[in-house]
Amino acid sequence: MALTGRTALLALAGVLVVGLLLPSAAGVGLVCGAVLAGVAADLLLAAPVRSLRLTRSGDTSVRLGESAHVTLTVENTGRRRLRARIRDAWPPSSWTPGSEQAASRHRVDVPAGERRRVTTVLHPTRRGDRPAHRVTVRSTGPLGLAARQGSHTVPWTVRVLPPFSSRRHLPSRLSRLRELDGRTSLLTRGQGTEFDSLREYAPGDDVRSIDWRASARRSAVAVRTWRPERDRRVLVVLDTGRTSAGRVGDAPRLDAAMDAALLLAALATRAGDRVDLLAHDRRARASVQGRPAAEVLPSFVNAMAVLEPTLVETDMRALVSAVLRRAPQRSLVVLLTTLDAAPAEQGLLTVLPRLTGRHEVLVASVADPRTEEMAAARGTVEAVYGAASAERTRAARRQTAERLGRHGVTVVDAPPEELPPALADAYLALKAAGRL
Amino acid sequence: MSTAAPHPPVPGAPSPATAPPAAAPHAATSLAPTAGSLWRRSRGFLAAALVLVLGGLLYAGLRAETRYPPLDPRSTAPDGARALARLLERQGVAVDTAPGPGRALDSGRPTTVLLTRAHTLTAAQLRELGSTVHAGGGRVVLVAPDPAELSALAPGTRPAGGGDADGGGAGDAPDGAAAVRSASTEPGCTLPEARRAGSAELGGLLYLPGGRADACYPRGGAFPLVRSLQGAGDTVVVGSGRFLTNDRLDDDGDAALALGLLGAHRRLVWYLPDDGRAPAAGGGTSPAALVPAGWRWGAVQAAVAAVLAALWRARRLGPVVTEELPVVVRASETTEGRARLYRRAKARDRAADALRHAARTRLAAVLGVPGGPGPEPVALTAAVAARLTGGPAPAGPAPGAGPADGPRSGGRAPSEVHALLYGAAPADDAALLRLADDLDTLERQVRQP
Repeated sequence: MALTGRTALLALAGVLVVGLLLPSAAGVGLVCGAVLAGVAADLLLAAPVRSLRLTRSGDTSVRLGESAHVTLTVENTGRRRLRARIRDAWPPSSWTPGSEQAASRHRVDVPAGERRRVTTVLHPTRRGDRPAHRVTVRSTGPLGLAARQGSHTVPWTVRVLPPFSSRRHLPSRLSRLRELDGRTSLLTRGQGTEFDSLREYAPGDDVRSIDWRASARRSAVAVRTWRPERDRRVLVVLDTGRTSAGRVGDAPRLDAAMDAALLLAALATRAGDRVDLLAHDRRARASVQGRPAAEVLPSFVNAMAVLEPTLVETDMRALVSAVLRRAPQRSLVVLLTTLDAAPAEQGLLTVLPRLTGRHEVLVASVADPRTEEMAAARGTVEAVYGAASAERTRAARRQTAERLGRHGVTVVDAPPEELPPALADAYLALKAAGRL
Repeated sequence: MSTAAPHPPVPGAPSPATAPPAAAPHAATSLAPTAGSLWRRSRGFLAAALVLVLGGLLYAGLRAETRYPPLDPRSTAPDGARALARLLERQGVAVDTAPGPGRALDSGRPTTVLLTRAHTLTAAQLRELGSTVHAGGGRVVLVAPDPAELSALAPGTRPAGGGDADGGGAGDAPDGAAAVRSASTEPGCTLPEARRAGSAELGGLLYLPGGRADACYPRGGAFPLVRSLQGAGDTVVVGSGRFLTNDRLDDDGDAALALGLLGAHRRLVWYLPDDGRAPAAGGGTSPAALVPAGWRWGAVQAAVAAVLAALWRARRLGPVVTEELPVVVRASETTEGRARLYRRAKARDRAADALRHAARTRLAAVLGVPGGPGPEPVALTAAVAARLTGGPAPAGPAPGAGPADGPRSGGRAPSEVHALLYGAAPADDAALLRLADDLDTLERQVRQP
């Protein structure tokens, strides 16, 4: 049960009655009795909360930064009219701070036997699953003095997907891919490219690509055309260990890595490659394998939605074993991890040979723009010491990258904004070079 | 998923969570507690409340005796006077207790009035009481009165000066009054009650008689008992009530004296002031007394309204929802921590080394000097100097192209460049600041010669 402001107001008005008409204990008793009687009548006459039938419908997933609409249907199965305030409670990060009060509260008026819909608009601020908490209904009586209050659990989960804000880089990379593909311009013969078809020689073609045997069979000179390899395997590995928890700008490193992985997956799927995903720290956290091209991106996004950085050191040995198990054939392994000196030297560099022996490896790391900022700072003693420290960090990262390069690993190290296009470019370069 | 307390199955009462959907489809999602779950949730509190109430009652029952002030006719304590009251009743004296003087005044028959604590009445009240009682032929018995009370009820009698304080009884001696310890004393006077009683335990404050008065039990020239005739009645002043107490009543002639003094008439009014109540004087008035009586009840009603408002505001629309947030640390934390360590340790050498190393690496990349992060000092210095002098930048280590004594068009000598890039650690923070700025300038010049 709950009282309303009207009850307190009525009791306050009773002060006049007691003060002017009945200045005695009996007067106080009379006024309080009247208020109590009103409250009791309201409680009796309010529509019951327990017998309400609540169902949900609406969005089950939403991209981070967009709004999800979840509809709650309130069916009044009782015989009395329901006038109620409803709070549709969700975890705090389902709304931008400050707007949750207005977004979660609804007022409904449902005549007996009818149903009404209220829509809760969620605006999540964080990736992951948002389960609905509970629905609390405060059913006010006809006098507006008191209300029955009760809660229902109406399960519903909204999955907040990674925003994939690097989508805007996709068109430009796709056009680069088409160039590689030979569909927009003639491609010269490169290493590792696949034979596509024969066509008639046109002036300007590389004479080396003339297929003499085919020319002999027909009257015209035939040249071979090439296209980039297709149906190669790409395995994107997300390191979800402690280094991925580091906040760069406003989001953890992991989120930037996810963005880059999504752009790469979208690009590689269009290029005809098969893309798999593995998220790993001490054990595999998420895995997407062998999906048809149309489903790769949705299943990636879905798998990434619930990933959170864990505060443990990544077990690189287990990670490499998992990669080798998942990718028996030669693949491009894109490892999104850190170049920080200590974890890389103790973990990655020791087990790298096992990986480079069978696969093409690309290591991508999220650089911290704050380090650049610190390195450029001058003017005060603190700033200069900060610059020195930042330079040392950068030197260490560069050194790690060089050591990785010596193992034949391609290294991409870029701040969060630039990492997705940089990784996509690195992939295109490898593809053009036929190293997949 | 939800933090709601789950409903375990209740025998006999199907809870919403466990009820089959066919039986109660509408209650499937409700979290409202059933009678059974309410009982299970609250029985612990109810049991605790019951134990508390029973314990309180038991404690109150065991300590039922009320504490009374001294010389109270209901008190069975050693300093009480219940024994005396019972004795008087057995003698046929009607003992009335009165909280104020009113009851004593409306009686026409001669009455004895006992004032054990006369100071709780005002002088006017005492005077009125005295005139009424004395006019009816009654008697006023005063226990250890002060001069103001004496002048109101027994004019002529006055306190004797000097003496020692009395430990027993109800005698609280005013300043300057003579007082002696209660002790067995011979009457030594013609007062019939005193003569009948013989020796009695008297003491406390001592008084000197005025005109028509009997003074008994002399103690060194002053008297602990003085009876003065007032109109048709009389006033008896005793220095201490000790001989009236339960403790002392059976000693000496105490009982006979007490019965004689208090049982002179068929009715005794035992004046018992309320402890909490101040003498009803017309002196100061509290602000509450100025409020009309009706509005005091109005204030009570306003308090009720305030409580209702608090209840209204206190009820939440559902519980607070909690959420586990991932732990996120700043990625640059270690870098910033190291900067602070450098600063605290004044590690100027390390800081300068880091800055120079970074500058050398960038310069080598710009000038195309091979060697990666650690280019050869001579080659790099020469290349930088050559670039600054405006000459053709040597592609690779070409020390001959930029000799130390070459033309210097806004450039620097190779020795200066060498000192900047490979020199000693700065001596203080100001030097470190200068070094950082110089390195920046050098880089800028090399990039835009």
